[in-house]
Amino acid sequence: MNDEILLHERVQVIAVFGEGLNPCRPLKFRRTNGREVEITEIGLRHPTTRGKRTVHMFDVTDGGADYRLEFDSERLTWHLAMEADRYE
Amino acid sequence: MSSPLTHQTYNEERPLVMHIDLNSCFATVEQQARPMLRGRPVAIVNRRTEHTMIVTASYEAKARGVGLGMSVKEARRLVPDLVALESDPSKYRYVYHKLMDIMRSYSAHVTMKSIDEGVIDFHQTSQDIRDRPLEEIGREIKQRLRDEIGIAMRCNVGIAPNRFLAKTAAGLHKPDGLDVITHDNLRSTLGTLELRDLTGIAKHNEARLNSVGIYTPLEFLDSDVSTLKDVVFKSIVGEQWHQRLRGWEVDDRPHPLKTAGRQYVLESNALSRAEILQRLHHLCESVGAKVRSQGKIARGVFVYAKTRDRRYWHARRMASAPFFSDQAIYAQACQLFEKAPEAIKEIGVTCYELSDDTDKQLSLFGDQLAQERHTALTIDVINSRYGDRTIHSADTLGTGIYVKQKIPFGSTRYL
Repeated sequence: MNDEILLHERVQVIAVFGEGLNPCRPLKFRRTNGREVEITEIGLRHPTTRGKRTVHMFDVTDGGADYRLEFDSERLTWHLAMEADRYE
Repeated sequence: MSSPLTHQTYNEERPLVMHIDLNSCFATVEQQARPMLRGRPVAIVNRRTEHTMIVTASYEAKARGVGLGMSVKEARRLVPDLVALESDPSKYRYVYHKLMDIMRSYSAHVTMKSIDEGVIDFHQTSQDIRDRPLEEIGREIKQRLRDEIGIAMRCNVGIAPNRFLAKTAAGLHKPDGLDVITHDNLRSTLGTLELRDLTGIAKHNEARLNSVGIYTPLEFLDSDVSTLKDVVFKSIVGEQWHQRLRGWEVDDRPHPLKTAGRQYVLESNALSRAEILQRLHHLCESVGAKVRSQGKIARGVFVYAKTRDRRYWHARRMASAPFFSDQAIYAQACQLFEKAPEAIKEIGVTCYELSDDTDKQLSLFGDQLAQERHTALTIDVINSRYGDRTIHSADTLGTGIYVKQKIPFGSTRYL
């Protein structure tokens, strides 16, 4: 039915905060198992709220799988929320 | 007989109404968000089961026969590699607001018709913008969607002298089309369409038109106003169609909120009556929040149920005093539901006879209502600050995982 694996995994992220329409751009992240994922495209970034907290959702890909990273703007934490790589 | 204001000719003014329609909106947004899905057949559903109906399909899925309303199971027979995704309202809401921001940068007169389409009226915008060709602005909006949301985003743009023809133009070349209808090409454009291609003409209206020998949009256009008004539609609606088809504006009017409702298809056939009532209670909380968010109070409650053997049951009641708290709605819905049949598959509740909530109106009914009002509004404030359903009835404690918030089609009031 669905190819998504829902997660709530704390990850370490290297991101650039710059200018333009999308000022925050995550470049790569390291998972708890040590695997590093290089982001090749940010598909969509959209904010959502958890009560009064704003959480930014980054739907990204490394060219082999799609991932969703969540950045909590209050707690300054990144979580990997979804992985999808089984398309066949 | 037509009114003296009825135009018999085509509207020859410069087309200044633009209709913008995102292509297969939810599926396109998912393909934008998840690059690995681009070029693949994708379907959006509201629930992760094989029997759920498809809400939106990507163009790749549509090209292989997948249609809206089809179950995932049926669609998989046609397209075994179909990727079915559960809808993600916050993502679509974000894209809706981005689209609205882009549209509002050209005119203050923007009307969003639904989550994936809107109209820009250029009649009263600045001279700088009006001096530009609208086709150029249409192409610019397409590019801005790609730049400001993402490269997979596409939209149809239709330009015409009125809203109806602009929407018709937007539907001519999907996906990613841009078409203009003017008085010059009106006949040739309508000549390529079927009656059912016209927005507002479905089975029932088509039959009405057929009954007087109108089988094509051109025959519809050539009909005289008295036939449409007195014979086909038997009301002012006929005259409006006569004007609409000629490019005169008859659809630029507000649609006041008259009802607010919600329905739910039960997640299991094995639910007890008490469990069904808990879900009804959840719907009442949802409807109450909708009513209050629009500053309204209600006078009536309507409930319905569909059974597994496809029977439809409904009941309604008008109250003597206005109400708007979740408890008041549920108390009435629950009473009405006592007569509901067994073997229920779907339930729904709607508040009707809505009117503006003014302190004066409610204070006429005494302290108890005033207290109920303050409690309900305080709970709404807390829920809006700390998250939806932070405070709700204990009865609906376990229903949130089933009765999830979904994207409302057709209305943008709650986005």
